[in-house]
Amino acid sequence: MTAFVIRRLFWAIFLFLVATIAAYVLFFIIPTNPAALAAGKAATPVVVKHISHVMHLDLPIYQQYWLFLWNMVRHGSLGYSFVNQLPVRGLIRQDAPVTMSLVFGGAVFWLALSIPVGIISALRPRSILDRSAMIFVLIGISAHPVWIGLILAYLIGYRLGLTPISNYCPLVPSHSIGVPCSGPLQWFEHMILPWMTFMLLFAALYVRLIRATVIETMSEDFVRTARAKGASSGRVLVQHVLRNSMLPVVTILGMDLGLALGGAVFTETVFSLHGLGQQLITAATSDDLPVVTGILVFACIAVIVFNFIVDVAYAWLDPRIRLTT
Amino acid sequence: MRRKHLLSLFMLSMGVALLVVATTVGVASSATHKVNAAAAKGGILKVNQSAGTFDTLDPQLAYVTNDWNVLDATQLMLLNYPDKSGSAGNVIVPEAAKSYPTISKNGKTYTYHLKKGLRFSDGSKVTAAAFKRAFERILSPKMFAQYGIYDGLDTDLVGGQAFAGTGAFTGKPTTKHISGVKAKGRTLKIHLTKRVPYFTSLLAMQWFGAIKPNMKYTNSKSGILKYPSAGPYYIAANNLNGYTVLKRNKHYHGFRPAFAKEILIHNLTNPDTSMLQIEKNQVDFDMGGVPATYAGKFAKQYGVNKKNGRFHVGVTTCIDWIALNVSRGSTQNTKLRTALNYGLGRNQLINILGPFAGSPADQVLIPGLSGYHKLSLYPNNPNVSKAKSVGGSALSGANLDLYYNGLSQTRTHQAELMQSELTQLGAQVTMDPESTGDYYGPLETKGTKYNVARAGWCADYFDPFDYVNVNFDGRSIQPTGNVDYFYFNNAAFNAKMDKAAAKSGKARATAYAALDKTLMTKYVPLVPYTVDNARYVTSNKVHNWIYSIYFNGPDLNAMKVG
Repeated sequence: MTAFVIRRLFWAIFLFLVATIAAYVLFFIIPTNPAALAAGKAATPVVVKHISHVMHLDLPIYQQYWLFLWNMVRHGSLGYSFVNQLPVRGLIRQDAPVTMSLVFGGAVFWLALSIPVGIISALRPRSILDRSAMIFVLIGISAHPVWIGLILAYLIGYRLGLTPISNYCPLVPSHSIGVPCSGPLQWFEHMILPWMTFMLLFAALYVRLIRATVIETMSEDFVRTARAKGASSGRVLVQHVLRNSMLPVVTILGMDLGLALGGAVFTETVFSLHGLGQQLITAATSDDLPVVTGILVFACIAVIVFNFIVDVAYAWLDPRIRLTT
Repeated sequence: MRRKHLLSLFMLSMGVALLVVATTVGVASSATHKVNAAAAKGGILKVNQSAGTFDTLDPQLAYVTNDWNVLDATQLMLLNYPDKSGSAGNVIVPEAAKSYPTISKNGKTYTYHLKKGLRFSDGSKVTAAAFKRAFERILSPKMFAQYGIYDGLDTDLVGGQAFAGTGAFTGKPTTKHISGVKAKGRTLKIHLTKRVPYFTSLLAMQWFGAIKPNMKYTNSKSGILKYPSAGPYYIAANNLNGYTVLKRNKHYHGFRPAFAKEILIHNLTNPDTSMLQIEKNQVDFDMGGVPATYAGKFAKQYGVNKKNGRFHVGVTTCIDWIALNVSRGSTQNTKLRTALNYGLGRNQLINILGPFAGSPADQVLIPGLSGYHKLSLYPNNPNVSKAKSVGGSALSGANLDLYYNGLSQTRTHQAELMQSELTQLGAQVTMDPESTGDYYGPLETKGTKYNVARAGWCADYFDPFDYVNVNFDGRSIQPTGNVDYFYFNNAAFNAKMDKAAAKSGKARATAYAALDKTLMTKYVPLVPYTVDNARYVTSNKVHNWIYSIYFNGPDLNAMKVG
């Protein structure tokens, strides 16, 4: 297992280097003049030249990239925003908890819904519950998250008044100016609708996936053998079927958590959650390259980390994986 | 216990009970009174901003309406607009200044004497140096932008160009201070190179409020986020991607109110959920206004501009127009440009913006402005036959590049409507959407390839110079950063504008009325179509709604909540 983890770690580092090279080329090499963007509207050529020197844009590309990487690894710096000259690291630190709350909380909700519904659908194929679950899947896959979010905000937040309509409250209590609400209870209340939106998106897919894998696993020889040996249905389900059915779910979950960071922008926009998704849109529309690059690098790191965790979890679930890779 | 003692005890108990009740009711009454008093002065005004966020709240970099709306609550001006409804709110009165300025006989020197006891939110004194610093920051080449140049401040002030590095000093500013702006104690003296009749109005712009004399220059686009200010409120927190918080300035003792204890502005909110929050009274109003799709619903539900009502419609100083590039292609032809004024539907363009969006317009000056006379030159609905007869061969088959904001649904619909109308007139239209978020960049660049583009103007100050000279003086055209999107540069018209700018009083009004008519009959570089309205909805907790035409929105400091 240790050897497996070390191999995966080296692979993660390699992926990190590839991702940062791609980010740097996309945002600092391809645009015609990042220094002009940073310099401002009324900047003279002299000012633009000075800023180009300060940003090291007059160095060879490989040196520029090395400085970018060195600043990131050694100093944890992702540069400074062109718009407000605040450190990008600080902006990400401020916004990441919002997106993480949305993504991880949403994941908990979608798994909590999809696993039991998927299993029951598999155990009772073509029943009313199974068909209803499939209709739900269709709606979840087809409907845009913005639409889902607005409908939930209107029905549950506005009409029924059961939850706040939008906004975010930090989990950790705070009395800072500019933080109108905080604490675990307020955080939870304000996240219910965003989690439900997220949940509906992904739960639909997972119900279908779990239903398919459970049906397939239940027809395996080892399950028939367990039944023949006298194991109860519950024991067969929990000890034999579920563990094997969860392997593809774990794999997809790792990928989806990474993708969810990108999809979170719709939910963040509807519910005015100032997370990385919304920050990315704001930065992209105002040509704030360091912020865009910083978020991209952060997202890449997050995806690499999630996939690393998934690989290790996969190897733990299925010992055959550690032996063969 | 014996009966007499029982009775005594009972009476004592009753007395104690009555005392307790009387005290409690007294406290409750006092509390209620305090709550009512709190409603009159206190509470937190909760505001969403669904239009996006502030460009900046740095006073010398702010140049859009929402930024100025907030700065109106935080700035101390020499002369300012009082927080009153209607025309009473459009007359500037002394605020930091003891009185209106003393103007020299030749009209070139303005002297202001400040009141005693003025202080910033951090307790430090406000002196004339605070206002001098504002001039420096609006012109300094060390700032992200030198907006003062757009209004000709560098040429109007003695020593302006040497400081700003413009004109003969282009790229080489030679002075650290503007020699024509002198501050000594509580006396501010401003020396101009020529008579500027609108100079007093100009200084009521938010650029010229009191700032700390040591407030730094900055080349950051969003400027300095937080700083002490001397108005009714100060900026206590400012996260342009989160919350901006204004708190009452305890050192302000001027005539302007500061009712809410705190103004909490939530930036970058979703317009749909924002409307739901306001209807549920969770938020008090939205600075971004009411989206077009909600205006009819709120008008029906709450009525329009009712006393203590919730749906408010106010006319603005903004005029929307279709700019025609007179320097390029088919739109170089005056007959074609005139024909478009007959052929494009003003009412139809306004309808796309929703109910109560604005009133049709066919001239540059807006009602209420000096020099405005209703011209009624062109129809509000398309007159295709008249357009074709006026346009003739210039219109038939004309190639027109129609530039529009592809990221805005409303502007896309307007562009599609114009495409249909122009095609009906016989033109060949190429749709040219802008989808990167920088709509004005290409428009501001000389040599831009558009022929037809939607644009507009809101008042920097209430003077016809701001509508005519600023937008149509082609001598201001530079490689980039232009305001003259028509690239209109006519020597005869420039000379007439110069003459009109030098006049004052009735003569000035007459001259600008003539310019307005000449522009729309002889040169026709644009198709004006509406004077905009602003539409807002408020929660049931909001009282004392005072709408400022100048800021196209409510006076935040005058709003009561509770």
